[in-house]
Amino acid sequence: MTNDNLTKLLVFCVLFCAQKTSIVHGSQALETKVALLLHVEPENPKCFAEGMSDLTCFWEEDEERAGSADQYSFIYTYQNENSSECAVTALPAAGGKRLYFCRLSRTQLFVPLDIRVFRDDLLIHNRSLFIEVVFLLDPPSNLTLTSTGTQGQLKASWLPPSLKYMGDSMMYEVSYAMAGSHIGKVEEVQASSELILRGLQSGTKYKVRIRAKLDGISYSGYWSAWTDPVLMETIPGDLDPLIVSLSLIISLVLTLLSLIVLMSHRRFLLKKIWPIIPTPESKFQGLFKVYGGDFQEWLGHSTGGLWLRPAYFYSEEFPAPLEVLSEVSLGPALPSSALPPKASEALGEEEDEDKKLKRVDSALMEGWRETPQEHWLMDQLQSIHQHPAPRTQSSLLESHDAYVTLNSQNHSGEEPLDDILEETLPLQVLFASGRTSSESRSDLGSLQQSSGSGRLSSQSSFEYPNHTWPPKGSGYTYMAVADSGVSMDYSPMSSSKIDDIGKGVIYTNEYKNEIPAHRRPIGTPIHFAF
Amino acid sequence: MLLEWTKPGLSNPLRPICDLRVLKHFIEEARDAEAAMLACKEGRGLPEPVTVPQTKVDFNVWERKNALEQAQEVQSGLWLLNQAIGSLRATVTNTALHSHIDNSLRNIFSIGQVLRSLNIQEYTPPAGGVAGGEETWRVSSASELLQVHVNFLRGKVHLLLSNTPVCHQGSS
Repeated sequence: MTNDNLTKLLVFCVLFCAQKTSIVHGSQALETKVALLLHVEPENPKCFAEGMSDLTCFWEEDEERAGSADQYSFIYTYQNENSSECAVTALPAAGGKRLYFCRLSRTQLFVPLDIRVFRDDLLIHNRSLFIEVVFLLDPPSNLTLTSTGTQGQLKASWLPPSLKYMGDSMMYEVSYAMAGSHIGKVEEVQASSELILRGLQSGTKYKVRIRAKLDGISYSGYWSAWTDPVLMETIPGDLDPLIVSLSLIISLVLTLLSLIVLMSHRRFLLKKIWPIIPTPESKFQGLFKVYGGDFQEWLGHSTGGLWLRPAYFYSEEFPAPLEVLSEVSLGPALPSSALPPKASEALGEEEDEDKKLKRVDSALMEGWRETPQEHWLMDQLQSIHQHPAPRTQSSLLESHDAYVTLNSQNHSGEEPLDDILEETLPLQVLFASGRTSSESRSDLGSLQQSSGSGRLSSQSSFEYPNHTWPPKGSGYTYMAVADSGVSMDYSPMSSSKIDDIGKGVIYTNEYKNEIPAHRRPIGTPIHFAF
Repeated sequence: MLLEWTKPGLSNPLRPICDLRVLKHFIEEARDAEAAMLACKEGRGLPEPVTVPQTKVDFNVWERKNALEQAQEVQSGLWLLNQAIGSLRATVTNTALHSHIDNSLRNIFSIGQVLRSLNIQEYTPPAGGVAGGEETWRVSSASELLQVHVNFLRGKVHLLLSNTPVCHQGSS
């Protein structure tokens, strides 16, 4: 007996607890629905059907004016039927209100229902409705979110309310938003129990909730309450290929543009980064390229340069212009010596102060002839030295000495230049060592003046083998020059004019070489006729 | 498809029409007729009460009935409606209402065709021409009649069509 009692007690307790839980749960749901309908439904009493054969109606009253539940009577009448009454219950509500409920457990659909509420025989509410259009369902259950495997997508699935015959009329609304954000999107789906959410951000947590509603031609109702939100994170995203490709293209385009700009300003940039070292090559044509920087060589071949003339070099290198030869006998005509061609050239090209000298020099050149035999010359000079002729004017003229006449006339043409070449040696030595050229030149210059004609010409006595020394006129002055081959002795000059004979020497400058004595083996004078 | 089974006198078996959108269309047209009747002030009263089927559905009761009973209930109700609306037409003078009434009659006929495609037995009126029974009642106004028409289609007819085993066999 005790065991049976205990068992019964246990069963009772379990059932009670379960019922209490369900009641608590049910009351919570009821509160939500009531709150919903209070917002949505304007008519009174507010009625809703939760299932296929039930109906819950309620109305609200202020606490102050509210009466007890038994004061109210809820009368309902189906079409073509007798009226029935529903028991009214009261429940306290928030905000100083009271709720009065009536619940019908067996209902008829597709038939009009009249509801009247009386409070102490006073009609307070009156309403006619169809039950199949006031459905207020529970929210869908078992809302789950799964990943579809594709980026930016989530799949939401749920369990539809278990209502027969009403599946095709069921409509759902899915609300999804990023976790923490209040701005969300809503999607409606009809007669389905799952939905794929697209266009979501990768690697983001989303909050999803759902509500249901009957929305068909036969059945209809209010939106249910939202389910509790379910959170789910989308799969992390890879680099969007479109973005990657676009960024690559943009970088390529920018690189190309920069390259083009660099290439167009290449020279400018090079000048700035790597400036060119200035070279004087433009001013000296071919100095570096042809002659490798050898300035002297370049000068030799250069056609340009106003201030560079080889004349300067040659004028310094080469001796003074005069060359004297002597001949004693009437032997083969001694070719007149010739001035060194270079000197003549130099003379010919001289333009400075010694212009007069230049002319003299050229005159001298023309009178000379070549002397092929130097031995013979030396002998002649010796003989002259040993037998000096009396220095008389006439004897001078008629002597066998070699005479050199300086013609004051400029001979045209320059053909003797070549002849002059080989006789350069004696005179060269003389003039190179003596360095009295400046003296001689000046003297010669004065000579020129004294001659009066302004010109001097030279002639060798070899030209006149028969002592037919033609008097050249009054303008001639002559001097005796003794050339030993090594040295030369100049006797004072005397004029060729017979008139002037005895008048003395016109020009008494003495040309004396400053050659050391050992170099003057023979001091035979060479007569220099002017 | 609609034209195919609206043709009278077709003897060849019809394909089952399981799409409930057809019925939805009929229901909406019936609603339009009811609304038009309510708007019209004249001719609202019937010369004599007509028998109309009961539209109420108690699911507990409905589910206890078998398919045959359900079918019979629907078919007889449709026949009654057909009779009642037919008689209404004679009393109404408004041309706009005439079109609505004609439409309703056409739709009732079409529903009959749909039921036939679903192998639902046709109703044969009892002998005597007067169909009585627990599932009927009498109305005396045209608006009530048309309202019954709408509710009948929304209720019983819809339930029957949405639960035919023929249609469910194909989908499930």
